[in-house]
Formats: sequence, structure tokens, C-alpha cells
Amino acid sequence: MANTITISPLTRIEGHLAIHTETESLPDGTQKITSARCEGEMFRGIEKILVGRDPLDAQQITQRICGVCPIAHAIASVEAQEMAYGITPVRNGRLLQNLIFAANYIQSHVLHFYILAALDFVDIKAILKYNGGDRTLRSLKAWVENSLATKDVFPAAPFLPRYEVDQYIKSDEINWRLIGNYAKALETRTIAHEMAAVFGAKLPHSTSIVPTGVTQIPTIERVLAYRARLDKLVEFIEECYIPDLVTAAKAYPQYWDIGKGYGNFLSYGVFRMEEATGEGIRKFIPAGVVIDGKWEALDSKKISEDVANSRFSSASGLHPYEGQTIASPQKGYSWLKAPRYKDTVMEVGPLARTMVAYYSPNGQSIKKEIDDTLTSLGLTPAKMNSVLGRHLARGLEAIRVAKQAYEWLGEVELDKPAAKDFDIPQSGKGFGLTEAERGALGHWLVIGDYKVKNYQCVVPTTWNCSPRDDKGRPGAVEKALEGTIVADATQPIEPGRIVRSFDPCIACAVH
Amino acid sequence: MGTKAFTRRDFLRMGAALAAGASLPLGTAKIFAAGLEKLATTTRVIWIQAQSCTGDSVSLLNSTEPGPVDLLTKFISVAIHQTVGASQGQTFMDTLEKARATGDYILVIEGSIPEMSRACVIGGQDVKDLLLKLIPGAKMVMAAGTCACFGGIPAAEGNPTGAMSVMDFMKKNGLTVQGKLINCSSCPTHPKALVGTIAYVAAKGYPVVHPEHLTPKMFYGFSTHDECPRYHFYERKIFAQYLGDQEGCLFKLGCLGPISYTECPHRQWNGGVNWCIRASSPCIGCSSPFFSIKKDFPFYRKGENQHAVNYTEQDRKGAAK
Repeated sequence: MANTITISPLTRIEGHLAIHTETESLPDGTQKITSARCEGEMFRGIEKILVGRDPLDAQQITQRICGVCPIAHAIASVEAQEMAYGITPVRNGRLLQNLIFAANYIQSHVLHFYILAALDFVDIKAILKYNGGDRTLRSLKAWVENSLATKDVFPAAPFLPRYEVDQYIKSDEINWRLIGNYAKALETRTIAHEMAAVFGAKLPHSTSIVPTGVTQIPTIERVLAYRARLDKLVEFIEECYIPDLVTAAKAYPQYWDIGKGYGNFLSYGVFRMEEATGEGIRKFIPAGVVIDGKWEALDSKKISEDVANSRFSSASGLHPYEGQTIASPQKGYSWLKAPRYKDTVMEVGPLARTMVAYYSPNGQSIKKEIDDTLTSLGLTPAKMNSVLGRHLARGLEAIRVAKQAYEWLGEVELDKPAAKDFDIPQSGKGFGLTEAERGALGHWLVIGDYKVKNYQCVVPTTWNCSPRDDKGRPGAVEKALEGTIVADATQPIEPGRIVRSFDPCIACAVH
Repeated sequence: MGTKAFTRRDFLRMGAALAAGASLPLGTAKIFAAGLEKLATTTRVIWIQAQSCTGDSVSLLNSTEPGPVDLLTKFISVAIHQTVGASQGQTFMDTLEKARATGDYILVIEGSIPEMSRACVIGGQDVKDLLLKLIPGAKMVMAAGTCACFGGIPAAEGNPTGAMSVMDFMKKNGLTVQGKLINCSSCPTHPKALVGTIAYVAAKGYPVVHPEHLTPKMFYGFSTHDECPRYHFYERKIFAQYLGDQEGCLFKLGCLGPISYTECPHRQWNGGVNWCIRASSPCIGCSSPFFSIKKDFPFYRKGENQHAVNYTEQDRKGAAK
């Protein structure tokens, strides 16, 4: 007999998501998920809003698709515009764009692990047993004690209430450490945004990123302001984030086998390493595709979007250049379209970027890094396709990007312009392919009569949380939920752990 | 919630930090301090995301005075938040109902509200239905960010969802906005303006606001143009020629400083490390009621080559009203 478990809303992600599952009862009283649906529950129609506007509005408007990964949209948009305008970035501009983007990568990854994901594992109530001398922890303890003592209706909100399960970390020492680092992470991600604003003017939603580069000029004062903050971030990643990741992984070894997806991965590549725009250019994190364990080069012509189960009456299976956005709110079950590559369901994100690099012909260094890490944990590469594999890939990427930021900072030419003048042509076409923190992001722009004629965004979580496609195949997260055991159907903590490992951003996905 | 973990002096210090950088009368720091203390002891915040990008929530976490940890654990009692809170699913909806039933909460709304059914759903309910239950019992309603304040990009010309501001939504449903709704605009909202206004409201009630825009005067008093560090260029009629030009007033590149009242030149952004004009980016008017609304009113003007522009310089100044 089929039962259902619904998590609506699924919180601690960006945006509006509900998860509906069908389950079967197992003899031990637990439930096993047999099928799942991801429902993206918000829509603004940003693509329609862009039509008829000045193309130069696009990097501002598309940033507002998402307040967590705005820089990714700015970069995708300026790359699309550069191709359509027939221009390329200046060297300083490319470097400063990379530096702003790197800062937001770190911001987003730290935010994800601690603020979004950790509360599924850490026992917040362990703070009540703390008797040590750490100022932050003592202060937090006093706060929780007071709120309980005054019979507050919402003690320790918003960190409580939560699902009450016997599945949080048992060790007080580990909980205290993670709670303390949660507090540090909140401060650290603020510093990361300051670092992004040093060249980006303000975050979220940078005004300084423009086609050809960045309006901010790199002075020595700016470079030092960036560098001082980068030092703090690297210290946090190395001393807190990575060790905490390993600690969590050791506490939950079963999550190396839970949340397994299709195992097909897509990356557009990110952080330009040359003053060029378009497919096939050199990037710090490479582009590529892995299907059935085999690497192949990316060909963006093979991307299409299905809408059979989406809330759109537009034609299905279109390439984004021809893409349409015609809302039909009573149709389908999600505001996400279902993008497919070569008619295959793909996973995107830090794990996908890592596995694409791992299997690529030039991936020796990343292959060694991943193999060494897995060996030290007593694991094989197949285990990367899991909840913990996604977390590990994200953490290792954070440190890789942070260290590379020092290189870019060193390459900046002080006091030299980081942008140049350009003209907008009467007509043109261009696309920008990059990687948002949570996966492959593409913008496709068509200009007619100096205005936006069509603008389509295919966004990371559109891939990951997509509904079923025209052939009825579940999206990547829907697939990863299948087979999951839920111990207590009234306190279903397990599905959220799987969904959050993908770091969904629904505002992006629906746009 | 008790206040043992921190002292009145903490509140005073934080109150002073909030008041610094705003154009405020003397004594305001004490009001903020009292407001912050009251927030920590009694008043709850229910934070609802409608058609939003979460940018205003992220901006709240970018608060530096107080920092995000103190803000969440000492100064603001956020009963409900979709991004930060531990609760999910039914637990989330139960907590929301419990908070509503107390009748003692400030409601913060992030994002615009769609007319179209299903265009924004929380826990199976259209957000417009949910907000009709939450607004009447709220002590105060705060719109955080330009989408909630004025509609913003989701409500721009050609939008398919009938998105509207909280103000239009309340008026449409016969709810009084004067004395109840406060708009903390800009994209995203500025953490100092938002936290400072919440603190003021908790202590003193409804602040002095702009009669039409409902933005609190203490944080939205003067335009970016009036206090612009490049004002001397404007006076001497030296104008920047292209995006990234380090010299000159940015007006001819489309700068909307004259219609933007976010006090950016003083507060700046992200703990004061930078802001748009300092980074040589024209102000795009993100705090203005006109932000992004018209297709033929673009953010930038690229000299004489800008074919998409069909308005005059006078139109642009006129928008300031």
C-alpha cells in the first residue's frame, strides 16, 4: 500500500520548494521512498520582463533572479552580451570579475554547509550542557537557557523547533565545536561579501560588473582590503570548514550510500583564464560532460528544455535560443522546466564539476586530490555519488578557489582600467556559460532593433530539481530521493538531507 | 526571553552603532537601544518570502553593527524564517500558526505579491492568502527591499504574474497602510535601515515616513546626488564618458542618484567597504519607486550610441518629483 510523505515547505534552501513522496511501509516500521516529486512553487517571469529592454539592463535584472548567487548571473549575462556585441574583456576586468566571483563562491559554500545543511546533523540543544570557557558558546548557552526559563513560546527560535529525531550528533564536544563554528560561519560569510564588494561595489547585486570587465579600478588600497579578508576566509576554511566536513562525514558514514543520483554530470566551466568569450575557452574549473563514467567535451547545442510536467504551455524540447516562457499555472506540477543534455538527465553542482574534472583528459591533479582524500577516508571514487560526496566536493572546491584568488590578485595591474567602452549592435546573438556556486548556468540572448528580442536562462537548480521530462523520467533530485529510508514519517529528516546536499536555489530555477 | 546574557550597556552600544551613519536627531541612539531590548524580550519577527530572490535576507545577515550572530540571538527574535530557521514542512507551518496566534509580532515581507494563483506558494497556500491572515494581526508590517516596497523587477512592465507591492496589496484588500506599513526599499534592503527601523518601531511605534513612499525619513532622508562624492564634477560639468571611466559625474551614463534616497554616500554597503558610485558605477536607482518598472527607461545611457533610450535628460530628472 502506498503512503505519502510531504515536506512543504522544504526550508533552509533558497526559495520555495515542496517535496512530495510516495513510500512503502517496511516490516521494521520505517518507510521507503518509491517515488518523489520536486515542486518549485514560485514564478516571476524574468525572461519575459527582459524582452524589449536595453540589453545592458540584463546583467542587473538577471542578478536579481537570485540573492545568493547574483554574481554568477552577472557573469553569464556579461559573457552573453560580450559575444552578442562582438567584444572581449580587458585583462584587469577578467581578473576582477574572477575575484568578485570567487568571493561569492566562498560566501555561498560556507553559507550552505553551516547555515543551510548543518542543522540536519548538529544537536543545537547540546549547548545547554556546555561548561567550557568559549565566550560565544557561553553567550549562546545563556540565551537558550533564558528563553527556556521564561517559558518563551519560541525558545531559541529560529534554531528550534526542528524535527525531533534520535539522529543528531551524539558527542557533546562535536556539537559544541560545530555550534561555535556555525556562529563563526555567519560572521565569515559576511566577510566574504565584504571581500566581493571591495571590487563589486555592493553585495548582493553588484553594480560594478559590466561587459568587458568591472568599473572599479584596482588600487593598492582595494587589493589590500581584498587580501586581508581572503586570509581570514582561508583560515576559516582550513581550520573549521574542512575539518568539520570530515567530522560530519565520520559521524554519518551511511550518507556515503544515501542520495545516489544518476551519476551523469555536466559542467560549463568557470573562472575565465583568457580574455575571450564563448564555448571552449580556457577556464580554471573546466567544462565537460560525464555520461556513464565517460568524459566528453561540452557542446551547448545539445541542451534542450522539456515542459510536459511544468507550468508552461510553451513548446517542449526547445534549445534555449528558441526557448519560450508562456505561463500556464494550472498545468504540470512545478514552475521548473526540465532541461536535458543529449536527452539525458544531468546532475550539476560542485560534485559534477569535480567529477567532470576527475574524468577529463587533463584532470590529473584533481584526480590525485580526490583519490588521496577518499583513500584517507577509506573510500572509493564511486562513493562520491552521494550526500557526503556532494558536501566533500563543495568544501574542497572552496579551498581550491580561495587559493587561486591569491594568484588572480597577484596578476592584477594596479591603477589600470578594468573596463573599456563598447557599442551595442542593432542585432546579434550570444550566450554565456558559467558555473554558479550550485551548478551550470547559461544565459542565451538575442538582440533585435537594439533591444532584447529573447532572453533565456537555464539555471543550476532547473537541472537538479527538474520535474519529470516529456518521457516521464524523474529529475536528478527526484531520482536521488528514490530508495531513501525514512525512520519516522512524522519527523521526516532524511529527505531534506538529500535535497540540501544539492544546494537548491529555487528562485534561480524558476526565475 | 531573558536578557541576562547581555546588558543594557550592550544595547546602548548597538543602538549607537545603528544611529551612526544615519541622519538622525540626537537621542535616537537611546531609542534604538530601547527598541532592541524590547525586541529581544517580547516582540517577535515573522519573516515571509514572497516573490523574492532571498537577497534581502542575505543582506540582513550582512549586518555588521550588530553582527549576524548577535542580531539573531540577542536583538531580533525571528520566530519564522524560510532560509535560516531549523523548522521545515509541517513543523514550519505549525510554528507559523503559533506565532500568528500570539498577536504580538512584526511582519517582515520580502518580495512582491503575485495576483496569479500558484505563482508563489508556501506550505500549499498561495502567499496572498497566507498574508491576508498574517497582516491584520501584525503590530507593524515592514516591506524589506524594493520588490516588497514598490513591486520592483517582478512587477516591471510586461510581467506575467500581476506582481504588486505590499502597499498595493494592502490597499487592494481594504487594509490601512498609514501607521501600519513601513517601506525599507533598495535592492537589496540595507541592513542598517532595516534593523534600525525594526528597533525604532519596537520602542517608539510608527516612525516619520515619506507621505507617499512610506520610507522612514531617518534612513531615507536625502538623495545620493545631494551628498555624492562626485558632486564637484557635476558642478564643473565634467561627465564620465564610458562605464569604468574614473573621472567625472556619472549622470550622463544614466546615474539615478537624484531619485535615490538610500543615503548610500554615508552608509555605503557591506560594512562600509564600498558602494556603487565609489566603484565608478552609476546608481541604478534601486531604492526608487520607479526602479526597473519601465522597459524604455534603462539603467544606463551609453552616450549618443544608446538607441534603446527614448527619453530626455529632463525626463530623467523629472522622475525625482
